[in-house]
Amino acid sequence: MTATAQSLVDSLKEYVIKSYTMKPNRVVVEVEASKIRDIFVKLVEVLGKGSFYLATIEGTDLPEKNLIRIDYFINLFKHDTYLVLRAYMPRENPVIPSVIDLIPGALAGELETYDLLGIIFEGNTHLRRSFFVPEDVSSKGIYPLRKDSGV
Amino acid sequence: MKLVEVTHLIEIPLTVEIPVGPQHPALHEPLLLKLHADGERVVKVDVITGYNHRGIEKLAEKNSFYRDIFIVGRVCGICNAVHANCYVRALEYILDVDPPPRAKYLRVLAMELERIHSHMLILAVNAELAGYETLFMYLMKDREYVMKAKEILTGQRVLADYMMVGGVRRDVDEVKKSRILDIVRRVEERVRYYHNVFREDATINKRLRDAGRIKQVDALANSLVGPVVRGSGVKTDARAHDKYDAYNEIPFNVITEDYGDSYARAMVRFGELYESINMVNYILTHLPQGNPVPDERRLPRRFPEGESYAIVEAPRGELTYYVSSSGGDKPYRVKIRTPSLNNIVNSTFAYIDQMIADVPIILGSFDPCISCMERAVITDLRRGVKYQIPLKVLGGVKK
Repeated sequence: MTATAQSLVDSLKEYVIKSYTMKPNRVVVEVEASKIRDIFVKLVEVLGKGSFYLATIEGTDLPEKNLIRIDYFINLFKHDTYLVLRAYMPRENPVIPSVIDLIPGALAGELETYDLLGIIFEGNTHLRRSFFVPEDVSSKGIYPLRKDSGV
Repeated sequence: MKLVEVTHLIEIPLTVEIPVGPQHPALHEPLLLKLHADGERVVKVDVITGYNHRGIEKLAEKNSFYRDIFIVGRVCGICNAVHANCYVRALEYILDVDPPPRAKYLRVLAMELERIHSHMLILAVNAELAGYETLFMYLMKDREYVMKAKEILTGQRVLADYMMVGGVRRDVDEVKKSRILDIVRRVEERVRYYHNVFREDATINKRLRDAGRIKQVDALANSLVGPVVRGSGVKTDARAHDKYDAYNEIPFNVITEDYGDSYARAMVRFGELYESINMVNYILTHLPQGNPVPDERRLPRRFPEGESYAIVEAPRGELTYYVSSSGGDKPYRVKIRTPSLNNIVNSTFAYIDQMIADVPIILGSFDPCISCMERAVITDLRRGVKYQIPLKVLGGVKK
């Protein structure tokens, strides 16, 4: 872990549950789903608005643990570092606060993740089915990327 | 006093709604842009997607790690080498495999040739949308030479399938090297000529300048990537940050422009064309020795548990692959985030307050649907029904 990444993890320490690296050298920080907005506010405070952007939102279904995992990949391009915020939600009720008012760039990722995996981003009024999923699938209430969707 | 009885309520919309797409001869992607316009000014844009979702992430989960290399190469025709490269590197990170230096150089060569023809294509389309079809034809003709160079290198002018775990699929010899160098020399001359046309031509300048201006702070907040964000003065480039493959050894500059309009984005692409041409020349004259083609039979069939996140600077911007393995021969999850997802869904603010006529320049294309314009809704209060009539007959309507 680089010095920048270490100091960033230190500045987020009140929210960090666990931190480790993902290959090749991405810094993963596990956090509470309900705290995600506070963390983005803190990131803007520590880094300033002009030195990072939210690159990717990725969700994974983990039926064996009865959880759904969400990863926010943040490109700290001024420091050549990648930060990954990782949170877990219960599978029956995967709800996480939306961050589009703080980071408008989350829009595309939130819409896609909701449509394909069913993670509800509380506060995002643009969420709709059939953003990507064909209507014959979405009308049955199926989220294709869930492992038991049958798609 | 006798009250006037109200029998009809007439609602006249303040804006007209113009659907652009999903099928249109000049629209390059099956996408619907719903423009809301007040007169000639755009006030709101809705992006409607889902016309071409092929479920590739799900398909990748159901096929083996190695078959997926061919699937992800078909996500995009133009930038198939970068897709395959990003996915293959994600696999290599999980396997802890490091390809030989010659393979790294050849990978960069394939990707830079791809960047050259991709930028030439989009510059040609820019010219066409600005009403300069001759320039489109000329640029497309010269782009064909670059496709030929890619064919000499990879064996295919479009879908290369060049990347393998641990290397590339074929080597180059001295004859191929000199042919590619010759093509690149000729293309560089033409690129200089087109760069001058873009700088000096009155039509191009009038149409592209000030169209869809994006400020630096908006570009970053909305996660725009690639030449779009570099055109707004942000120095970000996955090749420079991640230094994957041979980018730590091959010299290049990250091109930025400050103004953030369509013209600045075109100029960034021209700057990157020169950089890519220089890189191709550098690679072919500094190619390390060795065998870049791995023995496919020796690659592991089963993958260890693990996850990785690879990024690549595709011609359109940062492309990311997240691959997770739970052990076995199939990936547990493959997440692909293409640059266009961010650049198209998040960029609707760029159309606001622009002229309708500039939307094709900003977007790529536009086709107004006349049947959706000029409409008023009439509610018959006595019968409780609503119906629509064109605005132009409103003057003559009695009830």
